[in-house]
Amino acid sequence: MSAETATEAGAPVEEHAPRWRVLLSAVMANRLALFGLVVLGLLVMAAVLGERLAPYPPNAADVPERLRPPSLRHPFGTDELGRDVFSRVLVAARVSLQVGFIAVGISLAAGVLLGLIAGFYGRWIDDAIMRVTDMLFAFPAILLAIAILAVLGPGIANAMIAIGIVYTPIFARITRGSVLSVRERVFVTAARSLGASDLRLVTLHVLPNVLAPIIVQTSISLAFAILSEAALSFLGLGVQPPDPSWGRMLAEGRGFVQQAWWMGVFPGAAIFVTVLAFNLLGDALRDALDPRQRSAIESRGLTA
Amino acid sequence: MASYVVRRVAQALVVLLGVSVVVFALVHLVPGDPIRVSMGTRFNPDAYEALRARAGFDLPLPVQYGRYLANAAAGDLGVSFRSGDPVTTTLLGRLPATLSLAGSALLVALLIAVPLGIFSAIRSGSKLDYVATVFSQAGISLPDFWMAILLILLFSGVLGWLPPSGYVSPLADPIGWLSHLVLPAITVGVVSGSILTRFVRSSVLESLGEDYTRTARSKGLHERTVVTRHVLRNALVPIITVTGLQLAYLLGGVIIVEVIFAWPGLGQLALLAVQSRDYPVLQGTVLLVAVVFLLINLIVDLLYAAADPRIRYK
Amino acid sequence: MLARWLALFVVLLLGLAACGGGEPVDVDGDESADAGGDEVAGGTLIAAISGEPDQLDPHQTSAYASFQVLENVYDTLVQPTEELEFEPALATEWQVSDDQLTWTFTLREGVSFHDGSDFTADDVAFSYNRIIDEELANAYRFTSVTEVRAADDMTVEIEVDRPTPNLLANIGAFKGMSIVPEEFDDEMASSPVGTGPFQFESHSEGQSIELSANPEYWGDGPSLDGVTFRFISEGTVALTNLQGGEAHWTDNIPPQQIEQLSDDDSLVLESVPSTDYWYFAANQTREPFDKPEVRQALAWAIDREAVTSAAKFDAATVNQTAIPEGSAFYTDYAPYEHDPDRGRELLKEAGVEDLEVELMVTDEYPETVQAAQVLETQWGEVGISTNIRTLDFATWLDEQGEGNFDVFMLGWLGNIDPDDYYYAQHHSEGGFNFHGYANSEVDDLLDQAREETEDDARKELYDEAVQMIVDEASYVYLYNPDVVQAWVPEVEGYTVRSDRAIRFENVALNQ
Repeated sequence: MSAETATEAGAPVEEHAPRWRVLLSAVMANRLALFGLVVLGLLVMAAVLGERLAPYPPNAADVPERLRPPSLRHPFGTDELGRDVFSRVLVAARVSLQVGFIAVGISLAAGVLLGLIAGFYGRWIDDAIMRVTDMLFAFPAILLAIAILAVLGPGIANAMIAIGIVYTPIFARITRGSVLSVRERVFVTAARSLGASDLRLVTLHVLPNVLAPIIVQTSISLAFAILSEAALSFLGLGVQPPDPSWGRMLAEGRGFVQQAWWMGVFPGAAIFVTVLAFNLLGDALRDALDPRQRSAIESRGLTA
Repeated sequence: MASYVVRRVAQALVVLLGVSVVVFALVHLVPGDPIRVSMGTRFNPDAYEALRARAGFDLPLPVQYGRYLANAAAGDLGVSFRSGDPVTTTLLGRLPATLSLAGSALLVALLIAVPLGIFSAIRSGSKLDYVATVFSQAGISLPDFWMAILLILLFSGVLGWLPPSGYVSPLADPIGWLSHLVLPAITVGVVSGSILTRFVRSSVLESLGEDYTRTARSKGLHERTVVTRHVLRNALVPIITVTGLQLAYLLGGVIIVEVIFAWPGLGQLALLAVQSRDYPVLQGTVLLVAVVFLLINLIVDLLYAAADPRIRYK
Repeated sequence: MLARWLALFVVLLLGLAACGGGEPVDVDGDESADAGGDEVAGGTLIAAISGEPDQLDPHQTSAYASFQVLENVYDTLVQPTEELEFEPALATEWQVSDDQLTWTFTLREGVSFHDGSDFTADDVAFSYNRIIDEELANAYRFTSVTEVRAADDMTVEIEVDRPTPNLLANIGAFKGMSIVPEEFDDEMASSPVGTGPFQFESHSEGQSIELSANPEYWGDGPSLDGVTFRFISEGTVALTNLQGGEAHWTDNIPPQQIEQLSDDDSLVLESVPSTDYWYFAANQTREPFDKPEVRQALAWAIDREAVTSAAKFDAATVNQTAIPEGSAFYTDYAPYEHDPDRGRELLKEAGVEDLEVELMVTDEYPETVQAAQVLETQWGEVGISTNIRTLDFATWLDEQGEGNFDVFMLGWLGNIDPDDYYYAQHHSEGGFNFHGYANSEVDDLLDQAREETEDDARKELYDEAVQMIVDEASYVYLYNPDVVQAWVPEVEGYTVRSDRAIRFENVALNQ
């Protein structure tokens, strides 16, 4: 399949300069990436502090105060039940990050493991694993997630699992591609001839050399996972009321675009800025670590 | 070439078989009795038994799968739990809407991506290139459902130029069809376009750096001739690949946009099937979308191989 | 006869022209686009409805969307007037025997089904026996019926085993009791054949259902050429369609937009109080909800005005009994107020601490989700923590049927006769008593009331039962919503009905 041809060409970095410094300076030099980093910092703060930062309890309905436009008391206005939109947007950051990190964590763990096995052992194991990933790639991500949720039932935990499954094959494929190009390298064959065990070979010699594209893909997948969560919650399959989620708030705000634009504009903007931040960060990481890998946009073109 | 084609087709068939297992498993993974659950209060013992017998739920699983596969190959995807109509008929009924949206969205995407991508590659590093980058980044980060709502608000709410949603058959009313198509096509097309722009740009950039381009330049050819004759022609192959993949995505992956615009396509059908627990329809939709994706992918790969002989020896 | 053949020929020609493209096509599809076309009368009315019918078998479906369409396709023996009294429809007159056990209906002469077959007593007997024998959704309306038979071509006799004063309501309250042809088959479940003012033409999945005028209709109408029901799930979108002239009529009006719309001169907006009610009920087969104090605490804790306004903005009226003021069986009784202290005391009396409630709602009816979020806040104020469980409707109904809930919220629509709702929901043997309410006094009263043929005496029995039901918080009734519908000024002769029946038989499009 065509997606393979390109990822296989992605060469791992071999320089052994302190990588984090290269990385940091590369990110700092890139203003867009710096923006991404700042947004990420703010998000983590919102996610950790959440309710303590929020001026109001996010789920407290106060019907007489409903649909108030933004003001000093309610910087993002209030929603149709009189809840403070700012507090809800703030607290929802946790949901988005949580879903993003856990879902991508699932894809990362499963995908890298499968990719390592496929790339390292090759032959029929490789074939089998790659056919399974091809199979998962045959479904549009959102359709696959919806189908999985049809079986598991809606809810935030199931949404994480669904998104995790959906983004597993891309990690498997990228890892495998990198492993293939590293496997026959001198340092690996040398270690193998010295009688190193498979586990040792993989963890000490192969994995470190395929990390770069995986790191980049992680950042990009976080963006997609957050977007997917918003989409699933928008459809009512993700986060359940009364808990706030940007996607859900957008869905609720849809019926009020004419009376209360703020109900949809702020959660929509929150999704946009967060996804943008992860995409920019991903591209900056790619520039620094692995310039031949696909950009965020390109990988969406191939896996969306 | 022939052996590559055979290998590639065989590979696609293996994947297709796997897809059919997944799709088949879908209804059997559901906790509880899917037929009972799908009937809700409409439960009545006769209809239940009829549906069960028709779905063959009492047979051993491998036999059921064999039947499903054989029937599917013959174009019979079972009957909808919800309406009792054959799933194949239901799917066919959704095709005109899905095809019009996918086709027109792709058109919008290419109209944006081709000029923007080419010029930003040729003038790489210029202001235009920067604009193209920002457009691409914004485009893929923007939730399409949000954009849909904003467009409806602006073009049909405030300006009143276009209908907010709905679908009219092009055979009954071509102008009505077109006017309903504009907003969803733009919504989907802009997101696809932002992805394609990036691909066009990188393909053209790569092509610009190739030997044949240098050779052509060194022959003293006019820059425009170099670009149109050599650069674009060579950049075309990867662009076609991604365009094909985008088309495959558009045929089954624009669920939310279809829902918002009340567009009676496959995506909306899939969601409706999930909501009403109409598993045969969900199975059918997912299967059809996957088959179309595999088919487009296969065609794209074969075209790719025909255009670029190196691929074959991979 | 010749005229009829000619008409058939024309219909066939039109049909051929319309189906030329291989898919159902709306012959009059462009009429909406150029309102003010050359036609003077007739025309096709486009109605934007929020849901798509799941099926069109009137005896099987429970979806309101299906009934919106079927209302115009089928008839019942008797039908409710706008005042919800029963008038002749397919039956022209009826008598009850002195012992109250035999009802005799004389059928209307010269009525035919849309397929041309004659309407006879056999069709009536078939329809009712189908509901009874196949135990379909509405079989409970026939619990007292022992036999339905065709005495002759134009006479139907119904035998009951006890006086059934509400038999007319049971067989005529809504189109779930439609008369279908005796030749009913699977095909007719998706393309219905009725006797009503409009006949079914086509159903394009996900888009619309087309009806055309029934020229042989027994009543006055229709004057329209046809009706197209378009499925538009988004209220804001349905309204924009209406304002843009893409639809002529809709009932999909977001409650928050009503105020703004009433100032819009380009639309007619009408609102009528309905007999629907929305309520919550606690599962009395589970602790601690078996204690009346706990249920009462839930009732005292809430601010009905806030819950109602959250659910419906101004388009509903609070109520503590089922049906609204002005209905024949309205009971004037409202013991509860918003009193969190009282709620806390009652919980204490019951010896319940740290109560956790799982509140089951469904996104099929978003107002239950909205109201639930306010209930959560208000119950929180008396120390009850609430976990809102939002389910799709199929699962919701399943869980309700299995009794897997603490508290659920739902509505009961189109209420005409109290036996229908009080008995079904609060009698210990009631078919919809999912929350396990059992009070022998209430049972006795409801048993007597369903056989009482004197209206005043009957009402007194219900008044007494209702007070107990409310006091013991079997249901906590919340509000009665308004029926709100809007249409373009070109639509003439349409009236909003409090039972939510949507009838286009006497409507004209003045283009």
